[in-house]
Amino acid sequence: MKGKWDLKRLIFNMSALVDLGQEVTSSKVFREKMKAALYVVTGMFSVPKAALFVNNSNRRSLELLAYKGLREIDGTDIHIKSRHIKAFNKNKPYKINEIKNKSFYENNNSAFKKLQIKTFIPLFAKDEFVGAITLGQRLSRKSYRKSEKDVLKVVANQMAITLHNSTLFKKLSNKVAENKGLYENMRHIYHDTIQAFAAAIDAKDVYTKNHSYRVARYAVAIARELRWKERDIEGIYVAGLLHDIGKIIIDKGVINKGGKLNLMEIIEIKKHPQVSYDILSKIKFPWKDVVDFVRHHHERIDGKGYPDSLVETELSDGVKILALADAFDAMTTDRPYREKLSLSEALKEVKKCLGTQFDSKISNVFFRVLQKEIKGDNKEPQILLHLDKDFDITIITTLLEGITAELSV
Amino acid sequence: MNNFSISVKPGNDIVVIMPKGYVNDLGAESLEHACEKYLAKGLKKIIINFSEMQFINSIGASVFTGIVQKTLEYGGRLYFTNMKKTHCDVFEMLGIIKHVNVFKDEREALNLLKDSK
Repeated sequence: MKGKWDLKRLIFNMSALVDLGQEVTSSKVFREKMKAALYVVTGMFSVPKAALFVNNSNRRSLELLAYKGLREIDGTDIHIKSRHIKAFNKNKPYKINEIKNKSFYENNNSAFKKLQIKTFIPLFAKDEFVGAITLGQRLSRKSYRKSEKDVLKVVANQMAITLHNSTLFKKLSNKVAENKGLYENMRHIYHDTIQAFAAAIDAKDVYTKNHSYRVARYAVAIARELRWKERDIEGIYVAGLLHDIGKIIIDKGVINKGGKLNLMEIIEIKKHPQVSYDILSKIKFPWKDVVDFVRHHHERIDGKGYPDSLVETELSDGVKILALADAFDAMTTDRPYREKLSLSEALKEVKKCLGTQFDSKISNVFFRVLQKEIKGDNKEPQILLHLDKDFDITIITTLLEGITAELSV
Repeated sequence: MNNFSISVKPGNDIVVIMPKGYVNDLGAESLEHACEKYLAKGLKKIIINFSEMQFINSIGASVFTGIVQKTLEYGGRLYFTNMKKTHCDVFEMLGIIKHVNVFKDEREALNLLKDSK
């Protein structure tokens, strides 16, 4: 008869260990998971009152994680010193009498009474102390047999590993969050530095204040309409801000010259995309193609641009976007040698240069963005914001409709 | 998915609680809470009818251990009815059966408890 019950007990214990395995690997939130694991232990040994603690090594205390059958014990911590931890055998169930005359018990006398502890199990994962299980009186009031202590040790080991993994995961998550914060800070500093550079470039040219900023914004508007990835949009924004950085080597007198430039001055001016490239190619940007966009922002579809005289098929969309954004801003702002064009004149100029200076597909996208901004379909207008507001909406709308209709044929 | 529920028939001094489904996760705590609620109200006799209860695992065993403990603390009495053999075996193995009165079915328990008033 005894053999029959031993077998049933063995089967029950084995299935309880399976329950424990399922609970600790479940997708439940951590506290729920550990509470269920504690219930498995209390169910296996008919213990109505129990608690599970996690070690907080910084505070040198065991913090309550889950409990069963106890009242008003929230916030009950157990203080533990490293010498107490060293004295424990890993995952061994200690009868309360075995530790009663130790300073660990004396230091936590009231907590032990409140928790009605009869058995204390320190939890170790490998050599690390990770927490503890406290068990109250069993329903049977019997002590644990040797075989039951062995099972308790196995259960304790499993719970210790789960606690350890969770602690590691928590530490890792905190580290990831911390690194993310650092990365964001670095990113802000990086952007601020680039903005400062752009402001420095634009400051050299009295006529083109904020030119780089506007070019960057126009380029972003086109790239976004083309559904570029956010990371690539950020790249073209930076290229827009820095595309004229090479102008720092050009004489201020040439840049701001009111009259027609002579041949030498034109050669001088045309050096700036190459210089921009030379400066920026020393930087390892986190975005692809920034230096390519910058180098070629004065290239043309027909191959008559500079510095490399590339033709349409050799130019990336990013280059075509930046070239259009740069030229459009030049048209719509005052220059030392001419007054700015009206919006209508500028749009007609872009249309006239399609297939020679500008790419038709990119220009069509640009016209579409402008149409959307005029209609109020874009919540955050990027182009309209920087243009003079004195244009006739009806004329511009009709003009844009005509151009886009023509381009879509 | 919660595969456990309880139905309760409260009387003047007896409450009949019928758990339904599987007592194998923390959802079964509702059974323990229901028992404690009636014990705290002063109903000392709790009948638990097992006719619609299926599987009990270690978490379920923990819930019943808690019910027994609370009934003892409140000075109440527990009556289990309509148990299957597997339920009896688990409760016997865990020493829970010593703390409860077992009846064949709910009617038998109710008749006897009425007579014993």
